Amino acid sequence: MGTAIKVGDLRKNFGEFEALKGVTFSVEENEIFGLIGPNGAGKTTTLRILGTLISPSSGVAEVFGHDVVKDANKVREILSYLPEDAGAYQYLNGEEYLRFMAGFYAHDKTTTEAMVSAGKEISGLGERLRDRINSYSRGMKRRLLIARALMIKPRLAILDEPTSGLDVIQAYHVRGMIKDYAEKMGVTTIVSSHNMLEVEYLCHRVALINEGVIVAQGTPDELKTKYNSVNLEQAFMEATQLG
Amino acid sequence: MGSFTSIIMKEIKELIRDPKILFGVVLLPLLLYPLMGQGIQISEQAVQTSVRGAKFSLYTDDSGQVADAIVKYIMTNNTVTRIQANSLSDALVQFKNSDSVALVYVPNGYNYNITNGGKGNVKIYGNLKNLNIAEATGAEVAGSLVNVYNYYYSLAIIKGLSTAAGDTSSAVAIHDPINLTYASIIKGNVVEVSPSQVTGLIMSQSIMLPIMVMMMVIFAIQMAATSIALEKEQKTLETLMTLPVGRLTILAGKLTGSIVIAIAGSISYIIGFSYYTSSAFSFAASTTSIDLTGAGIGIQPLGYALLGIVMFVTLVSALALAISLAVFTDSVRSAQSLTGVLIIPLIIPAIILMFSDIDMLPAAMQWILLAIPYTHTMLATKAAFLGDYWLMIRSIAYISVFTVVVLWAAAKIFSTERIITSRFTNFSFRNKRKQSTA
Repeated sequence: MGTAIKVGDLRKNFGEFEALKGVTFSVEENEIFGLIGPNGAGKTTTLRILGTLISPSSGVAEVFGHDVVKDANKVREILSYLPEDAGAYQYLNGEEYLRFMAGFYAHDKTTTEAMVSAGKEISGLGERLRDRINSYSRGMKRRLLIARALMIKPRLAILDEPTSGLDVIQAYHVRGMIKDYAEKMGVTTIVSSHNMLEVEYLCHRVALINEGVIVAQGTPDELKTKYNSVNLEQAFMEATQLG
Repeated sequence: MGSFTSIIMKEIKELIRDPKILFGVVLLPLLLYPLMGQGIQISEQAVQTSVRGAKFSLYTDDSGQVADAIVKYIMTNNTVTRIQANSLSDALVQFKNSDSVALVYVPNGYNYNITNGGKGNVKIYGNLKNLNIAEATGAEVAGSLVNVYNYYYSLAIIKGLSTAAGDTSSAVAIHDPINLTYASIIKGNVVEVSPSQVTGLIMSQSIMLPIMVMMMVIFAIQMAATSIALEKEQKTLETLMTLPVGRLTILAGKLTGSIVIAIAGSISYIIGFSYYTSSAFSFAASTTSIDLTGAGIGIQPLGYALLGIVMFVTLVSALALAISLAVFTDSVRSAQSLTGVLIIPLIIPAIILMFSDIDMLPAAMQWILLAIPYTHTMLATKAAFLGDYWLMIRSIAYISVFTVVVLWAAAKIFSTERIITSRFTNFSFRNKRKQSTA
């Protein structure tokens, strides 16, 4: 198994504000990797750079050996990105939305239908897929969007705060969908969250990020042991010396 | 289906299924204008019916053969009621409380003045209870009754005098010795129509066309800006930008989808508006039946073709401009307020050119107006009517150059991260620190 993501000394400035101050980490193929930290830590900026949405001010970011700036088009072919609090086209129905998105990756009708069929199964929305998206609850929309992100069997799935704004039951279902599908299909996944317990459940390895800097990384157990903590939340507080 | 077609189809579905757009852009013009036209027609008919059945009153405090003659003439109209009163003020009280719309008052001295070679006074009072057109028109009808009498009474006096003098001339010819008629020379052709009728017709066309163009472009701008802002607000644009599809394809797909709906809206607008003009002004047949096509006025097939191109480049430029501006916003509301600013350069030339010709304006004003691309759209619509194709081609060239520049800017914005990071909310730039939601 090779390296799926390589990030080295990644920096990003917005005017005078330094959002990333030299972020370095790597993600192995088929791994579910968590980027955890508080709001404004630099999680979304890192994921947007990996998702080819914005360019770094300096440093390296590669996805399966492709530079996210120089080979942006190749990176886009193999990744699936889900922004935080993303919506879907409210006047399409769920199935139309899945078909619309599949059309960008599939080159023939059979592949499109296979992707749509996978999307339907992952979402678990059944007959509700024939209803317009503006009639969906927040949880249903999130399930549809995650199904959209995973149905194309991407080599890399980037999920920014996948359970943000969902209630306990909805979040539980969504986490289950991600874990089951990513492990079953061998999709490398990078997840950002400020919910430490969620990341502990989902991820093989995590990086703790604060104020644009990775303060620690390893498996959840390694981090808990290193900081002598009962959970990742406590480990984060110790690592950032905020506790 | 290719990515480009997929985006267009998605765009059209989203726009057409949005009840606000379906109703506001496509259905409303089809319903509103015919209803307005019907409303005007019904109210005009009501005014005509009301005027035909209007009742008048007559009061005189004069007597004598000449005064009795006018009273007798007016009383032949069976809708006239004679008021019996001791004074004008009493008569006015009775008139005010009556259902008459006008009072014809023949004052004391009328008989004396006329029999002594002077002018007799007659006064008409309008009873404006509801301040409506029917009441005012009623007073005018009473006036025309007196005018008819005035004319024939004048002819009778002339005839009496000329007979006494042994003159055999026609009384009508003496009353109006000059018969004045008008004709106009338009593009070298003599047309037996008065210049004011010609300009009136051109004015009615040149007012209607800029309004139609303005409305169409405003629809398109608001639709495109809303569509982009909605994509930003819901972060669907962020998702689109990570798909394996060129960013220019996304831009072109969104533009095309908006153009298709804008054209549908324009067609609906034109159908609605033409029904409105035909129904609202159907009573004014004499002003609309002037045929000037023989004089080279009116849109010819080449004019229609060039007008189509003008509309197309105008739409594309307005849409590209709306999209370029909307990417700097983060909500539908801020996009609409920002694009509201775009409407100003559309309205100013439209209003100025409705009532004036560009050559009549001061040089500085001309240059300012000519710098605005949408002025050229208005000029081209007028030129289409007058068959000035060279001016239309120049307008197309200017708008096209502007469109290319705007498209280039839109493409630049789409190909950089500014489309994701830019924020322009309610006319105030946020702190750059907040540009990233990191």
